[in-house]
Amino acid sequence: MAHSVDNLQRIGVKFFLSEAPDPEKVIGVFHRWIQNGSVDGMLIDVADYSHVEQGPGVLLVGHEGNYAVDWTRNRPGVVYYRKQPLEGDLGERLRTVCETALQAAELLEDESDLGAGAKLRGDEVQIFANDRLLAPNDAGTQSAFQPALDGLLDRLFNGSSRQLCRDEDPKERFNMDVKAETGAAAAALRARLND
Amino acid sequence: MTTWKEKLEGQMPEDWAREIDIFENQMELRRQGKVEEKLFAETRLRRGAYGQRYDNGQRNDGTGTKPLAFPQGQSTKGPDTVWDAPGMQRIKIPFGGMNPEQMDVLADLAEEYSDGICHITTRQDIQLHYVHFEDTPPMLRRLAAVGITTREACGNSVRNVTACPLAGVCRDESFDVTPYANATMQFLLGHPDIQDFGRKFKIAFSGCRQHACGLVTMHDMGAIAVTREVDGKTVRGFELYVGGGLGAVPHEAVLYDDFVAEDEILPIAQAISRVFARLGEKRNRARARVKFLVKSLGIDEFKRLVEEERKTLPHDERWTAYIEELPAYGEKPLKDGSALNGAGRPEGFEQWYDTNVYKQRQEGYCVAAVTLPLGDITSYQMRALAEIARRYVGESVRTTVGQNVVLRWVREADLIELYQELDALGLSAPGAESIVDIVACPGTDTCKLGIASSRGLAAELRTRLAAKAVELDQAVRDMRIKISGCFNSCGQHHVSDLGFYGVSRNVGGYTVPHFQVVVGGKWVDNAGSYGLPIGAVPSKNIPDVVTCFTDAFLKEREGQESFQQYASRVGKKALKEKLGDLTKVPARDDDAWYYSDWGDPREFTIGDMGTGECAGEVVSLVEYDLSFAEELVFEAQLHLDDGQFEAAAEKSFKAMLQGAKALVKMQFLDVTDDPDHIVSEFRQRYYDTEVFFDRFAGGKFAQYLFRRHESKEGAGDAASARTLVEESSLFVEACHACSAKVQAQGTAREGDATSSVVTLEI
Ligand code: SF4
Repeated sequence: MAHSVDNLQRIGVKFFLSEAPDPEKVIGVFHRWIQNGSVDGMLIDVADYSHVEQGPGVLLVGHEGNYAVDWTRNRPGVVYYRKQPLEGDLGERLRTVCETALQAAELLEDESDLGAGAKLRGDEVQIFANDRLLAPNDAGTQSAFQPALDGLLDRLFNGSSRQLCRDEDPKERFNMDVKAETGAAAAALRARLND
Repeated sequence: MTTWKEKLEGQMPEDWAREIDIFENQMELRRQGKVEEKLFAETRLRRGAYGQRYDNGQRNDGTGTKPLAFPQGQSTKGPDTVWDAPGMQRIKIPFGGMNPEQMDVLADLAEEYSDGICHITTRQDIQLHYVHFEDTPPMLRRLAAVGITTREACGNSVRNVTACPLAGVCRDESFDVTPYANATMQFLLGHPDIQDFGRKFKIAFSGCRQHACGLVTMHDMGAIAVTREVDGKTVRGFELYVGGGLGAVPHEAVLYDDFVAEDEILPIAQAISRVFARLGEKRNRARARVKFLVKSLGIDEFKRLVEEERKTLPHDERWTAYIEELPAYGEKPLKDGSALNGAGRPEGFEQWYDTNVYKQRQEGYCVAAVTLPLGDITSYQMRALAEIARRYVGESVRTTVGQNVVLRWVREADLIELYQELDALGLSAPGAESIVDIVACPGTDTCKLGIASSRGLAAELRTRLAAKAVELDQAVRDMRIKISGCFNSCGQHHVSDLGFYGVSRNVGGYTVPHFQVVVGGKWVDNAGSYGLPIGAVPSKNIPDVVTCFTDAFLKEREGQESFQQYASRVGKKALKEKLGDLTKVPARDDDAWYYSDWGDPREFTIGDMGTGECAGEVVSLVEYDLSFAEELVFEAQLHLDDGQFEAAAEKSFKAMLQGAKALVKMQFLDVTDDPDHIVSEFRQRYYDTEVFFDRFAGGKFAQYLFRRHESKEGAGDAASARTLVEESSLFVEACHACSAKVQAQGTAREGDATSSVVTLEI
């Protein structure tokens, strides 16, 4: 039987960084991205939450989705989460969100202003769902979500072995943390998604 | 596919559920163009769905103003407000009281519909930013299901009813005002008598006179708990104040009655509402707050009208029903009280304990303040804090007007463990209610009216002050800093030791972010007195202003005086002199840093900017004239401080005339010094043409000049003189803004008269 997660649109993804870049520099980079339309979507503004410990960091707010260099739980990463609907089935939507995040991560890796701070670890990704109605954080959602996730991970990590883990607190949004045996740079991960 | 409406059916109060359905229908009708946009805007505001910066569909990205191509094109949710543009959702938290279940939902909403941050406001509300309007109905339903309504969170209505966060546990209160604040909120929510206000109406309750928590004097209606002995029995009541408010022109509330018995507080609030609805200004928003009505009628006449109205009110059971339940009212601690034992104290604990822990009057219990930088808490932290609350205090959590959260009824013996748990979440910062704990409004981050970055400045000051907090002298640590992004005072800059509000200045054809420095405000005594501006300083020099004033305070302090006492002793003139070169802006070619704001690398703008070849010369004349006008405002303030009210009134009028003349001279050099001539030329060139109009305030500031010119009114008393000084200050600010706008648009050089300006300057 179909599960409500099949209709999930508010998908988010976080690729972890090797170390934290300077938030002030990230603000400058994001403003420049707005000027140049460097990433997908209609870009609106930059929101700075770097004063909040373990917070969402610096956000590039868009209409379709938000980009961020995020510090949640003291684990810096590049985040993209979708706010408006996407085309395609769940697997396709998941792939699009990951690709959008990786496009941003690739650009950040190339930003000389940010130095080594914005280098992707490339061996860990977190998927989350900003929708407790369609994707409650429970085992039912996990098993319904698994086929789409496996499809994504097979491509992303080239079949390398991986560990999956979910924070099972029912109050948390649905989330899956994936650690792969071997990682890759943002460009390589992105290329795999498009193969 | 199940919806939140279906899922939460039966869990929301029926009337609230119906109201949200109606609102959703109105959204659909507006989408179809069947509801007029102004009407829809007020409907939306009354649900707490507010506009946000750039929702007019354009933004200056640092290289120029660019359209924001929202997918639904130009369909609107209000005048000049694009449907698809992200907005702000204000969520009323009556008296700041939240329970863990509500905190969980607030966290979820921030995560799913906003940017993962719950922002605590200076009126104990919670705001979510960057919310897509279409997400409003499910949000409202999820809130309703846990007992929160956003009804009348914005718009011309009774806003959140605030109260001391220590109510019920405070060592100094007369009695717990919580049930009264709650009853007032419940009684007035959606009441027919509050539906026809010309502006918002804010109510606050305080348990005592001397502390600041309630901020009674800056409210439309403020009630301070007092008791009286009647026939050997202690009777509860309230010292009631009306007509206070900050905003552009602040008014201290005036005493309405020194004792309104507890059973009369709701009927009197209702009667006041009726009088305000009937007689309050409706067309001119700038003069529609109840403070203007009280001022124009005089407190005696206002009171007479309210008492007449009171006699006509049909009896309502709700006036007193809650009082009968008061004996059973009271928060129950989760655990038995016990003292802090000798357990080892982790690093940082002592400092946190000193500033963030308040001993309740109930033995063995404390209030622990969770200091939130700029009032922000993440979804993850909020949810974890709810869990902590469940384990340590049960339901006793409140937001504060200082933009923090407090946990009440913490057993002293649990403090160390609590501290460690907060620390793991990044929520253990010390310095609650100190100079580090800076209050700031949203400013240019998200507010449509923001001029300068109040949050950017607050973050910078906080970082600098926190780094040296331990070394700071206690007298400096006890100071408060409050920042607003513009003159509207949402950051409450009038009632702090050092207040700042955003303005802009034109320097060499470029707009430079500045803050007006406000000193002499009093936070204690329920915001006992308001500060006045002493001069504008470039935004980037404000941290140096703080250092300059705190250093001078420590050096020149006499005895145990507070900064506010020190400021009033040395006087504003001496303080202004200390600003010295800090008011100067280097040329852009020498230091471009001054030409952007804190936390925002874009070149600063308050609109599209342009520089004509001759602009520099034209600017120098008008800027020179305007700086003279500013000087006159300052002199007016000094007269006011000296109790010379007539002189203050006269000088403030001169300042306005000087400001108007400066603008007129941009087009017509031969304007004389005759007030009639200046005012008539100003009216014709800047008011009738609407060139002077502010995008949001319209012609409000010009009305200050016209009214003063027509009435030739003198000062009368201190309050009137103060209003005139404030108005002149705002008028001169508006002249600065107008001059910048005119130069940017190149309209200064239209017509013969302008070319004579240019010729003259060259
Ligand atoms: S003070 Fe001004 S900038 Fe700040 S929130 Fe109020 S209106 Fe906006």
